[in-house]
Amino acid sequence: MAENAERSEETLYKPSPKSIEREKQAMEEEPKEDLSSLLLPNLNDLPQNPPTAVKFNFSRYFLPDFTKPGHDQYIYRHANGLCVIGLAQAHVALKEEGGVTAVDFNVGKSDRSELKVTGKRKRNAQHFESNSALCKVCTNDNFYIVRCCVKGSLLEVNDRLIKQPGLLNSSADREGYVAIIMPKQGDWLKIKDSLLSYEDYVKLRGLL
Amino acid sequence: MTSPGPAIEWQTALGNAKLCLPPCHVIRDLLSTGVCVRCIFRLSGIHDRDCYISPINESELISVLEEQNEIKCNSTTSTNCCVCLGVLCPSCVVPEKPGADLREISSVNELALLISDMVKGEQYRIDEFSLEVSLPPVITANERALRLYLKQKYEKEQWFKDSFLRDHMSVKDTLKLVLNASLENYLAVQNVETLSSSFRIRLTYSHSETSQKLQSMLPNGHDSKKRERGSRENGSSKNCNEPDASAYRVLELIEDQNFCAQFQVPPGKVDKPCQLVVACCRTPTYIGGRYLKYSRNVSQSRWIIDDERMGETSVEEIIGENVRQICQGDGYKFHSAGREDIDVRMLGSGRPFLVEVSNSRIVPSSTEIEQISDKINHTDKKLVGVKNLKLVGAEAWDLMREGEAEKQKQYAALVWISRPLNVDDVCNLTSLKDMEISQKTPIRVLHRRSPLERSKVIHWMKIEKVEGTTQYFLLHLCTQAGTYIKEFVHGDLGRTHPSIGSILGCRAEILQLDVTDVKMDYFD
Repeated sequence: MAENAERSEETLYKPSPKSIEREKQAMEEEPKEDLSSLLLPNLNDLPQNPPTAVKFNFSRYFLPDFTKPGHDQYIYRHANGLCVIGLAQAHVALKEEGGVTAVDFNVGKSDRSELKVTGKRKRNAQHFESNSALCKVCTNDNFYIVRCCVKGSLLEVNDRLIKQPGLLNSSADREGYVAIIMPKQGDWLKIKDSLLSYEDYVKLRGLL
Repeated sequence: MTSPGPAIEWQTALGNAKLCLPPCHVIRDLLSTGVCVRCIFRLSGIHDRDCYISPINESELISVLEEQNEIKCNSTTSTNCCVCLGVLCPSCVVPEKPGADLREISSVNELALLISDMVKGEQYRIDEFSLEVSLPPVITANERALRLYLKQKYEKEQWFKDSFLRDHMSVKDTLKLVLNASLENYLAVQNVETLSSSFRIRLTYSHSETSQKLQSMLPNGHDSKKRERGSRENGSSKNCNEPDASAYRVLELIEDQNFCAQFQVPPGKVDKPCQLVVACCRTPTYIGGRYLKYSRNVSQSRWIIDDERMGETSVEEIIGENVRQICQGDGYKFHSAGREDIDVRMLGSGRPFLVEVSNSRIVPSSTEIEQISDKINHTDKKLVGVKNLKLVGAEAWDLMREGEAEKQKQYAALVWISRPLNVDDVCNLTSLKDMEISQKTPIRVLHRRSPLERSKVIHWMKIEKVEGTTQYFLLHLCTQAGTYIKEFVHGDLGRTHPSIGSILGCRAEILQLDVTDVKMDYFD
């Protein structure tokens, strides 16, 4: 299923036109709608493997070899402009023996896990450049710097990684995300064209 | 009413009124000062409406008082009363249509007719009305000036000491006394005294000439700054209220001595009457009920991004527009007890809502309300439905908001998990009662909501298997108001925990969501 257009913010999987018709008919036949018949789905509409919440709600972009070879990262961009940053599947840290053992947000000038963003406008969020460091990811033998990839305000870091660094090994593409950044529209447009789509990234790295 | 000389009823009324009036020499004095007959009557404490509607003029009054049987001459004065500025004569000028030429009104009948034509022209259907009158502060000043003048001149005389001015009626009350009965006649409905009627007729009188003089006469002090700020910030209509309010305040505080020094005593004559603006309006009409949303492509409220509409239409527009049309209102506002996403259906009991119609020409009867219901429920495309539609009062708004945070909601979600569902899973989920979950602000709304961690309660869950599948099931759940259901199912990248996925130890996705019940006592 193709990536969604930027516009869908909250929509779920849509049933086929046939089942919409069937629903309408059911309602016309019984003015006092039979609730349970309305709720049950049409089996023909149910895919074996439905798209994941990430695939459905975000546009996935990839940056291979960001600032250093093997440092593959992803940006999941939501229709509302927010960007979720994380380690892509072929990141060199994930290939090491034993995988990721620790995550430290105390890099650069401050501890990123200490920041507290408040309010609707998030005015007190810290601004970072695309190559600013977000955290340090440690393996048995090495450590790697994870960076912002896009210029913007840092809204949140995934502090669960501090206690559960293994999340990066099991689900770096979901629960193991690193941070959420809010870029300005202009800053996003500047980097957009240099990013790879999921398909292109998979091809590049020979995955799947 | 243009017959020469007073008719029999007036003569009787006037005869009785004579007892209240001051002596003839005072009346002559007042008349020559420029006070109109009606002001003389009201200041003397005459409450008989017949006296006021008689078209008696100055010389006729004198004749009656001096018991002359012949009417001398019927010269009508061309100047307006120095106290009421023509409001009671009645004489005023009214713009025919907003911004058009001014038209002169010179009788109660004409005024009542003008007002009733306006009401009928707008096709208001009313069963009562309230009259609101707004007069320029300069009239209060005029009255005070006249009283001070009379006091200065006549306070030694017996009639003054006895009862003069004790029982007097204000200009406003006199106008209402005179006008209400005529209006009742033309509109064929009753007047309601205090502003309890939903239909208001507002008469706003203004007299720029004397008002400006009054403004410049009043001590400036701190008021000048307020006036400047006021005129810069507000539009023209507000501009009238600000100086009015401050003028009244200053007049109250100023002492007689200072007043006489600043203001002309007795008040000066004016050659132009007041300008009158007539406006009628109905207070908002409220229609409430419960709505159902059958479509997954209809947003709750009008949703437009970059000039493009999201979804096919909105609940707000379907219901609001139909209500507005039948009520023949100017506009509508849609309020509801919570809302659901565009792709989530609202089924079962329905969600309570309220439509506020502004300036409705009619207040719908129960038949007409049924018409609205039918219109919405029997469209070709069954997108939205309404239940229990009825007329409600303004307190419905508070009732709907009351305890909104405590109300429980029931949902049915179509869930897929990454492995087959087994018996333990079903037991696991159904055994959880009043489970507390923690939800960080979902990423999909994080751009416009505060980043917080909210604690919510899942009261109970039930599993309904979907025949023919192993990895799909219908999750029925009852939760605290404000719970993000979609995030509870897929976990929102771990930011909602526990989630269905974390409880079952696998990946969970949500495909469809429906609201099946909004538990609320009202609107049932």
